[in-house]
Amino acid sequence: MFKKVLIANRGEIACRIAATLHEMGVRSVAVYSEADRGTLHTRVCDEAVLIGPAEARESYLKADAVVDAAKASGADAVHPGFGFLAENAAFAEAVEAAGLTFIGPTATQIRAMGDKREARRIADRAGVPIVPGAEGADARALVRAANAMGYPVILKAALGGGGKGMKKAANEQELAESIEGAQRVAASAFGDESVYVEKLIERPRHIEVQVLGDGQGRAVHLWERDCTLQRRHQKVVEEAPSPVLDTEQRAQITHAAVRLAEAVHYRGAGTIEFLLTRDGHFYFLEMNTRLQVEHPVTELLTGVDLVRAQVEIAATGRLPFEQHQLPRHGHAIEARLYAEDAARDFLPQVGTASRVRWPDGPFVRVDRGVESGDPVSVHYDPMLAKIIAHGPTRDAALQRLLGALDETRVHGVVTNLPFLRALLRAPETRNSSYDTEWIEREFLGEFAALMQAPAPELALAAAAIADALNGGSSRASAGSGTAPAAPPDPFAALGRWRHAGLDR
Amino acid sequence: MKTQWRDGERTREVELAPLGKGRWRVRVDDAEFEVSAEVMPDGKLRLVSDGRTTVAEVTPAGTRRFVRLGTLDFVLDREASGRSRAGGTQQAGSLEAPMPGVVTKVMVVVGDEVTKGQPLVAIEAMKMEHQIRAPRAGRVKRVAASPGLMVQSGAVLVELEADS
Repeated sequence: MFKKVLIANRGEIACRIAATLHEMGVRSVAVYSEADRGTLHTRVCDEAVLIGPAEARESYLKADAVVDAAKASGADAVHPGFGFLAENAAFAEAVEAAGLTFIGPTATQIRAMGDKREARRIADRAGVPIVPGAEGADARALVRAANAMGYPVILKAALGGGGKGMKKAANEQELAESIEGAQRVAASAFGDESVYVEKLIERPRHIEVQVLGDGQGRAVHLWERDCTLQRRHQKVVEEAPSPVLDTEQRAQITHAAVRLAEAVHYRGAGTIEFLLTRDGHFYFLEMNTRLQVEHPVTELLTGVDLVRAQVEIAATGRLPFEQHQLPRHGHAIEARLYAEDAARDFLPQVGTASRVRWPDGPFVRVDRGVESGDPVSVHYDPMLAKIIAHGPTRDAALQRLLGALDETRVHGVVTNLPFLRALLRAPETRNSSYDTEWIEREFLGEFAALMQAPAPELALAAAAIADALNGGSSRASAGSGTAPAAPPDPFAALGRWRHAGLDR
Repeated sequence: MKTQWRDGERTREVELAPLGKGRWRVRVDDAEFEVSAEVMPDGKLRLVSDGRTTVAEVTPAGTRRFVRLGTLDFVLDREASGRSRAGGTQQAGSLEAPMPGVVTKVMVVVGDEVTKGQPLVAIEAMKMEHQIRAPRAGRVKRVAASPGLMVQSGAVLVELEADS
C-alpha cells in the first residue's frame, strides 16, 4: 500500500479524498495556488505544497508543477480527483515517468475515451448503441456535419467531460456563433481547442453507470445513477437508483457498461454515460475516466468507498470485490450547492463564505470545500459542497435531503440554495416526470415567479434592527449606492456580531 | 431612522423607532408593526411580533445583508440614504459586467447600430462564457472593454447612446 498520496486538486473533492486516505493510514499531500492559501483542503491534508499563482493554468492545470510537488513531498502516488488534470493523459504519463503511481486509468485509456470519436468507435465495437455526431477544430467542417445530421445539435469540448462550455445550437447560424467560444473554453479548461458536435436527442433522461476495472479485462458495475435534473447540461441533482428504469433496462444498461469497460481493459473507477430516450432506448454518450462529482450517491447506495477502491486497485491491480458482493440498498439523492445567484441568471458569485452551517443528522452526508471564513474565488468552479441523503425509499431520501437543505446556511456569498429547495419541492421532482431539459423549459419560469415575491416585512425589519444594534450604518452609507465592486471584507463589517456568530 | 433596501427588483423602505427595552416601532413600506428584538448568545436575533416568535440571523457583507428567517433565506442590499438605484444605469445606456471575469470578445465598435438582444461583449468567469447582450436597440457611444481585460462586477463595458 502507498505511504503518501498527493491530491492534485482543491475544494470539496480534495477534502473528500483526504478523508479516505486518512482512514487508510496513508499520508495526504495537498497542492494549492496562491488564491487558496489556507483554504479548507490545505487544512485537512497532512501536508500542503504551493504550486503557483491563482490562475488554474499556472497552478492546478500545470502538470510539471504538480509532478514536482509530488516528487518533492516524497509521495508514491497521485490522485487527480476530477476536473483539472484528471483526464489529461500527458499528466498521467508524467506522473508515471516520475516513478509514481497514477491513481486512475492508463494514459492510453484516458486518451481513447477523451477522444469522442475513438470512444464512440470503441463503444460501437463493444456492441453499445451510439448517437450520430462529429468532432474537430475546423468550424466549417463541423457546420457541414451538423447540417447533415440535422438540428438541433449540441456543442462541447472534445476533451474532458461534464457540462462546462456545452451549448445547444438550433440552427446553422447559432452553431457558427458558438463554435469559437466553445473552442476557447475547451482550450482554457483542457488545453485543446477541439470541439465535438452531436445530434441532440430531445427530452432524454441522463443515466450513467459506475464501473471499476482491474486493468486486466475484468470489471464490475456499481449500478446506475440518474442525473437527469440538469441546467445548461450541468448536473444539479443526482440520485441512485434511477426511478424510471425497470429491471430489464437496468440489466441491459449495466451489462453494456461492463462490456465496454472490459473491452478496453479499463483500470480503476470510471463512469459510462447514457441518454435514455422517451421510448426507453439508451445510447452511449461518453465515458468519464475518473471519479465523478456525484460519486457519493453510489457510495451511499452500495456502501462502497469508491476512493478506497481506486487506491486499492492502483496499489494491487486487483478488484477488491466481485459483482455478487455489490448489492444496493434503498435510495440516495445529492444536491450540488453552487456560489451562483439563481435569481440573476445563475451568475457566479465571489466573496467570503463568512458564516456557514452544514446540516448533519442520520443518513446525511456533506462533501464540502468551505467552512466559515473561507474565500470563494473567481478563479475556480463555483461548487461549494454536495449535500447527499440516503433513505429506504426515494420519498424518504428526498424528504431527508429537503430537511438537510433547510438546515444548511451559507451567508456571505449568494448560493443556489433557494433554487435547490424549490426544485426538490416541485411535483415533477417528486414523481420523477422530468427530462434533462425540463428545468430550463418549465421550472426556471416558475422559479423566477417565486423569486419575484417580495421578502417578508420581518426580514427587512431584522436587517434594519441588526444594523441599528450594530451601529452598522457607516459602511452602508460609505457604499454610496454603487454596485458592490470587489466585495469588502465582511469581517470588517461584522462588528460586535463577530464573536457571537463565528466562534461557535 | 429611515433606511432603503434593495430586495430583488424592488427598493423597500424601513423606518425604525426604538421604544426601549428591545422594542421597536417598525414601518416597512406601508406596513407598520411593533417588534421586540433580543440578541441571543449565539448572535441570532429573537424577534417577537404580533405574539409570534421568529429566529432571524443577519450576516453583513459590505452593503449586503444575508437574512435567514426561520428556514428561509433572503439577500438584501442596503442603499445609501436618499438615493435610489432603481433602474440603475442600465436605462442611461451603459452595460455593466454582471460578475468579475475576463473579457474574451468585444463584438462592437463605437458607432455601431445594435439591435435588442445582440451580443456585444463576452466575459469568461469560472470556466463559463457569458454574453452581454444589448438591452435595447441603439448606437454604441463608447466601448470600455477590450479582450483580455480583467473586470470587476459593475465595471462599465459598453455605453449606448440615449434613446432617441
